Amino acid sequence: MVHETLAATNAIVVLDVALPSVFWGWIITMNMWAKSVGTGIIFLTFFLLKKYPEQTGFIRFPAVVISIVFIHLFLFFTVIDLHQMFRFWHIFFYPHLTSAITIGAWMATGFVGLLLAMTYAIYMKKDEAMYDKLLGWTTLLAIPVTLYTAGLMAEATARELWQMPTESAQMILAALLAGSATMLLLGGNKFSEAVKKDLALVLGFSAAAAFILYMSEYIFGGMKAEEVAATLAFVKGGEYTAMFWIGQVLAFLIPMALVCLSLKNKSYYLLKIAAVSALVGLWVSKHVWLVIPQLLNMS
Amino acid sequence: MQLGFLVDLHLCMGCKGCEIACKVENEVPLSTWRLRVKYVDVGAFPETKRTFTPLRCNHCANAPCERICPVSALHYLENGIVNIDKERCIGCAGCVMACPYGAIYIDPQTQTADKCTYCAHRIASSMMPSCVVACPVEANIFGDLDDPTSNISKYIQQHQGDVQVRKPEKGTDPHHFYVGGGNVQLNPLASFRGEGHNLFNNLTHIHLGGHH
Ligand code: SF4
Ligand code: SF4
Ligand code: SF4
Repeated sequence: MVHETLAATNAIVVLDVALPSVFWGWIITMNMWAKSVGTGIIFLTFFLLKKYPEQTGFIRFPAVVISIVFIHLFLFFTVIDLHQMFRFWHIFFYPHLTSAITIGAWMATGFVGLLLAMTYAIYMKKDEAMYDKLLGWTTLLAIPVTLYTAGLMAEATARELWQMPTESAQMILAALLAGSATMLLLGGNKFSEAVKKDLALVLGFSAAAAFILYMSEYIFGGMKAEEVAATLAFVKGGEYTAMFWIGQVLAFLIPMALVCLSLKNKSYYLLKIAAVSALVGLWVSKHVWLVIPQLLNMS
Repeated sequence: MQLGFLVDLHLCMGCKGCEIACKVENEVPLSTWRLRVKYVDVGAFPETKRTFTPLRCNHCANAPCERICPVSALHYLENGIVNIDKERCIGCAGCVMACPYGAIYIDPQTQTADKCTYCAHRIASSMMPSCVVACPVEANIFGDLDDPTSNISKYIQQHQGDVQVRKPEKGTDPHHFYVGGGNVQLNPLASFRGEGHNLFNNLTHIHLGGHH
């Protein structure tokens, strides 16, 4: 590892130009966070309508509206992050198909189309069968829409920390976490105990799995690549340490603990706190993971 | 044809002539650089040495910046140059994220991506890149890698064993080589980078519309 040669060589940069600072910052964090909610709520709607069709029918309309709102938030933040936002249409007219950005934009557009069709089915036509049929396709498309950001991060060859297998798992888990948290807040006491329990389990397990992945990276990531070790130093005593742990505690540890407690006490109140904590913490942990590889000097 | 660059670090004396020639030729805006020469000091007094490393886009054969660009603003020319169409660029900064060499910046005037193009416009008129012309010691060697009789090909043949690229593990297949380089010059993790040693000391980071 060249880093260990520093003491011997005493190599110091004595004259250079200033380096670029963070390019993908809070706007891209908002983008990822909003997409997790927008796609996650669809996953959970599909699950609940399949498992509890009688008790959860009322979520059809609010769930699709929430998804539309959050997917549009995602699109909004995508566009305003562009340095030339009024050229956004170039993605559709000069598409480059090796780019995850292009594929993602197309899929997100298809996703919005399906969501609007679902709204039409349930609001204008009051046709639940049509809604449920469309929901199947929308859920299928929600998977790659969730995953494409992982592809984009993987294509960011410079950022060794972001690897496709881990990031895709993290994207799906983030969607399940955000979706179950939003659904818990949306359904309130209208859900039966069984539904609440299922949502709590999805929340708890996705928090646990995501936490395990983060900790695996935290502990083992640096053993494989020096760049990853240097990146993780920013959360191991570096400037993002506090924010990293705040994110982990809020997004994963508190929800896990509260889910356990609420299952024991049958307390919906605790679940609501768990849901809010998960949503806030998810933003923080995504943000830290997005920013730290950008702090590393590339040249 | 496959154009490539080679810098002989034994020859480079850090005059920054290439850096300035590039700035002027390409009207590179203030605070941004297509080509820069990094100084790294090695050793402890009195056994010290100063190294100079010109750093520019590598025109990778397997360029991550080209792959991630959603609108093909970054594209290959027939001569192997990775070129940029600033009219098409939407400024997504995907290429900035993807380039493992930090070779791309967002032009603060046009708000689009920009980088070294090996002076593609000069090459189209059969001229050498401006940094090559400016170098007083001919440390920059430029030419066709597909032609075994070109200067660059001969240089590579003669210096086998001492020819390196930056970050070969990234699989980018750079068309930019260094002779006489070591980790200190080519690997940013091999040197300590403190604040206060920039060309303009108060400017530690360039904020170009990024959102922290
Ligand atoms: S050095 Fe960077 S900008 Fe240049 S071709 Fe390679 S990836 Fe692209
Ligand atoms: S900033 Fe421009 S050149 Fe870079 S990837 Fe985006 S559209 Fe392509
Ligand atoms: S002009 Fe030549 S000698 Fe001067 S810094 Fe550039 S490569 Fe080195």
